[in-house]
Amino acid sequence: MKRRTLLKTSTAAALLAMTFAGPVTSAFAADDPVKVGILIPQSGPGGLFGPSSKNSAELAVEEINAGGGILGRMVEPFYADVGGPPSDAIQAALKLWKGEKVEAFIGMHDSAVRGALDNLFKGQVPYIYTPVYEGGECADGVYVLGETPAQQLEPVIPWMAENKGASKWYLIGNDYSWPRDTNAAAKTYIEASGGTVVGEEYLPFTADNFDSNLAKIKDSGADAVLVTLVGGASVGFNRAFASFGLSDDVTRLGTLIEENTLAGIGAENSQNLFSSAGYFANIDTEPAKKFADAYKAKFGDDAPVLNSLGESVYDGLLLLKAIADKAGSLDVAAMDKAAEGVSYSGPRGEATLEQRHTTKDIYLAEANGADFTVVETFSKVGAGDNCQ
Amino acid sequence: MELVALQGLNFVYISLTLALVALGLAVVFGLLGVMNMAHGEFVMLGAYSVLVVQNAGLPFLAALPLALAVCAAVGWLLEFFVIRHLYRRPFDTLLATWGLAILMREIVEAVFGRDYKSVNQSLPGTVEVLGAVYPAYRVVLMALMVAFFAGLFLWYRRSNTGARIKAMVSNPALATAVGVNTAVLARGAFIFGVCMAGLAGVALAPLVRVEPYMGIDYLLSSFFILVVGGLGSLAGLLVGSTVIGGSDAIVSAITSKTGGYMTVLIISILFLWLRPNGIVSRD
Repeated sequence: MKRRTLLKTSTAAALLAMTFAGPVTSAFAADDPVKVGILIPQSGPGGLFGPSSKNSAELAVEEINAGGGILGRMVEPFYADVGGPPSDAIQAALKLWKGEKVEAFIGMHDSAVRGALDNLFKGQVPYIYTPVYEGGECADGVYVLGETPAQQLEPVIPWMAENKGASKWYLIGNDYSWPRDTNAAAKTYIEASGGTVVGEEYLPFTADNFDSNLAKIKDSGADAVLVTLVGGASVGFNRAFASFGLSDDVTRLGTLIEENTLAGIGAENSQNLFSSAGYFANIDTEPAKKFADAYKAKFGDDAPVLNSLGESVYDGLLLLKAIADKAGSLDVAAMDKAAEGVSYSGPRGEATLEQRHTTKDIYLAEANGADFTVVETFSKVGAGDNCQ
Repeated sequence: MELVALQGLNFVYISLTLALVALGLAVVFGLLGVMNMAHGEFVMLGAYSVLVVQNAGLPFLAALPLALAVCAAVGWLLEFFVIRHLYRRPFDTLLATWGLAILMREIVEAVFGRDYKSVNQSLPGTVEVLGAVYPAYRVVLMALMVAFFAGLFLWYRRSNTGARIKAMVSNPALATAVGVNTAVLARGAFIFGVCMAGLAGVALAPLVRVEPYMGIDYLLSSFFILVVGGLGSLAGLLVGSTVIGGSDAIVSAITSKTGGYMTVLIISILFLWLRPNGIVSRD
């Protein structure tokens, strides 16, 4: 009798275990996966970051699914190109949301597209915004992973003043909201560090000759330049900067000079060039190395180079999982309630959500030829006040 | 004083480099009437030639024959299969070459990747010119460009080929009647034009960003120069480059880069509107 019960119970247990762990489980989960819309630029000026973003997303999906998925359900990614104008991005997102019934979005794109998506989603679907941006996002259901100017500059500008003697700053950027807001924040920190701003200039995206700007920088007597030019403009500016011999005496700091931009600037034009970000391809920590190794193993040695924008999509999926798992649901109201204090750990280190922005480590890296070397880690830097 | 010298050198530099970049288009569009939208892509091919040479460990100057060979080959193929059927149909050449430009960008992207490439300075360092510190490579490049344009000017003026081209441009039927082989001459002019674009790409590669989409910048500024300077003469090309490059350099130095760019646009629009034949007009 006793033996019989034992047999029965163990058979039942075995059957039960099979239902939850065996091949039966995946069949069950595949019926009902969490569909996640991954919005990345695959065309246009941001298209350069499409491949590394997609690779990072694939890696995150694979790892999350290997660990049991989100809320016990497997993750199924749906990709859409948001490299074009906001109107196109809305159409692409709408197709995934209403057509494919996507339950959450990860977005790595510019702020114009983010504004349009805010208006589209209206807090009805969770949306993780991953790239570096100018701050100020406060809509319901939007969780921001990227670095704000406060994070990238508040600890870094005093460091530059102390260690590089930066006191006379020249601010140069492309003419749109991110550089302007970054420089507005920078001015406060420069003043607080005892420095002055000796020049400020914004260039149209079409600029490909920087001679007049370099003459002005030279004439201003600046000993430090904050570069918020993006992409090709940053490459062209930094190359010309070095060719005029300015890099010997003037320190450059950028808040969006990632591995691709540095490759374009070139080893011989990168002396005295610093970059501040939440991620670099060769951060010297265990989780960062593990991620870089997994990326290399999956995509090979010729894979698109890792950078802070591409990698942010990987972290975006980790953050989505952390919030959803704590909330026990993918419902925005539940997630918003659970969001404060959610923490997760990824290649960037440990991050905690505060006011739906991440408090995290910020790395200051110096260009060493065509590679970055992290020279300082500022731990647990807050994103500042973004809901005013 | 030092600042004035620096801005003055910048003025000369931008005028000369713009003229070099626009030279190929001045020949192809100005003489043959082909609106070559792939002009910038030939500049890109020149820049990538330097990259190939650099990756192979060869000296910078080895890029010159490579760029000329690549551009001549691609130019010959384009002329033979596409362009020669479209002479005197400018709008069709615009569409056809725009498609070819996209194709060339995609091929380069497929081979070399979408990412930025860095071409080494073959002549790093700076020299002092009139009290201003200036990149050594630029100083040498400026001297070479002056010599090149002087030589080209004399050749076009005095050579038989120059005379035949002028005959073909002003009256193709009559030129054919007196024994000028206009088909061969036009093909030669087209290939010369795209090779000059490639040459400009080689010269500028160490100074600019190198990526598959770099050509678009050069196409726009080249068209502005031809609009202002006028078609069909070397003098027009140089005048156009000086007006476009110079106004950009001067206004940017005094106000801002945005002001400089706006000035270039306004000048181009005014010329299209009030003086569509440009400053140095052929007729």
